[in-house]
Amino acid sequence: MGDILERIYGMTAFQSIIDQPSFLIMYLLAFVLLYLGIKKQYEPLLLIPIAFGVLIANFPGGGMGVLATDGEGMVHFLKDGKEVVRNIYEMSLPEIAHDLGVMNFLYYALIKTGLLPPIIFMGVGALTDFGPMLRNLKLAIFGAGAQFGIFAVLLVACNWFTMKEAASLAIIGGADGPTAIFTTIKLAPHLLGPIAIAAYSYMALVPVIVPLVVKLTCSKNELSINMKQQDKLYPSNTVIKNERALKIIFPIAVTTVVAIIVPSAVPLVGMLMFGNLIKEVGASTSRIFDAASNAIMNSATIFLGLCVGATMTVDAFLNWQTIGIVAGGFLAFGFSIFGGIMLVKLFNLFSKKKINPLIGATGLSAVPMASRVANEIALKYDPRNHVLNYCMSSNVSGVIGSAVAAGILIAFLG
Amino acid sequence: MEGNFSEALLLMGVGLATVFVVLLLVICFGNLLIKAVNKFAPEEEKPKQIASKPVAALVDGAVQQAINKAVEQLTGGKGRVEKIVKL
Repeated sequence: MGDILERIYGMTAFQSIIDQPSFLIMYLLAFVLLYLGIKKQYEPLLLIPIAFGVLIANFPGGGMGVLATDGEGMVHFLKDGKEVVRNIYEMSLPEIAHDLGVMNFLYYALIKTGLLPPIIFMGVGALTDFGPMLRNLKLAIFGAGAQFGIFAVLLVACNWFTMKEAASLAIIGGADGPTAIFTTIKLAPHLLGPIAIAAYSYMALVPVIVPLVVKLTCSKNELSINMKQQDKLYPSNTVIKNERALKIIFPIAVTTVVAIIVPSAVPLVGMLMFGNLIKEVGASTSRIFDAASNAIMNSATIFLGLCVGATMTVDAFLNWQTIGIVAGGFLAFGFSIFGGIMLVKLFNLFSKKKINPLIGATGLSAVPMASRVANEIALKYDPRNHVLNYCMSSNVSGVIGSAVAAGILIAFLG
Repeated sequence: MEGNFSEALLLMGVGLATVFVVLLLVICFGNLLIKAVNKFAPEEEKPKQIASKPVAALVDGAVQQAINKAVEQLTGGKGRVEKIVKL
């Protein structure tokens, strides 16, 4: 009887949790993330799968955690009660599924290959409207200023991290989850979990971070600049006569330009623009548009979230690097908003037509939340100053800008 | 670490400059496209209007009556059928 009870006890996870209480911290983290996703609605589509991935990855014996590899890809695992050391890149996918479990199979098939972020970018493209950007094309340049945070944090982080790790951390400043994940997979896959969590958490905190940086850097007069009045004072001589045709040609042209200058950004920008193209073509591609923006994107989101969460095992997450990533990610985000605002201020010094600095602040991606937040701030200073459409221009160009920045980092350090 | 810093500084210069150049090119190409489209395809093609057939042409009287009755029953007499469209 005692033997049976002992075997039942051995079957449960109690002893492992007692031996290594740090598992409890991971459960707590998972519960907090689940609470933020479910109750507070912070990026629920990604935060809930990530949080659940964290939870199931940290039950000892469950076999759902993604195994951490060393620099050469060696993994240690138990097989038939014996410890085995193997190079994961020499294992076939069925072997990975059989020996390491289904989550490792999903991770190495879908994430490590870099498949899912471009697929999600295709869905994002299918849901993006380039109309506001095309109508206010000049404002798109402020999407470049907001990439400052990426490179500023790279400069700081390289003192504590390797260059590849620092670049993966810095890309959080692009405020684009799939871009951050794609870059990290290519440069520092062992940091995927904390970087994805930091990126999505800060994106969810855009309504807090943007007003904070704006308050610290902009005056009341600057925030009261009414864009419609400026348009009346200095009207644009560009009139779009056929927006539909323009919207169809635009993604093809952007892909071509980016592919020639930064080929390493094509997996992201190319898929973004492909998604957008099938949306703009209209009725004849409505079936694939529907698939890209719904079924495919939703499936990709589920697997991306779960796999990223499953990388956050006790050993991989509870260390000083994670704290550095959380702090560095915040800095990158703040510097990006600051960079966008400063570029607008610089522009205003030399131009008669003044631009509201909020348009620079939205140069970081996080579409469309950053624009909505900026619009709310503008309305506080002038209830007639609707800047949403103007902000969307720099906001959407920020997506292209951060993908290009990621491409540069991968090309130089990958 | 000093080597890292100088590499990061170089990346900052190259990276920011490239992002600027790419977005400037996007703006220039965008403007060129607007001009080209305005010149060569200035008119937006309007979708052909499909003349909506009268309800009677789509469904016969008995079917219409059945639909009316079903709607009346489901809505407790509050709803009424305004238009029947064939999908």
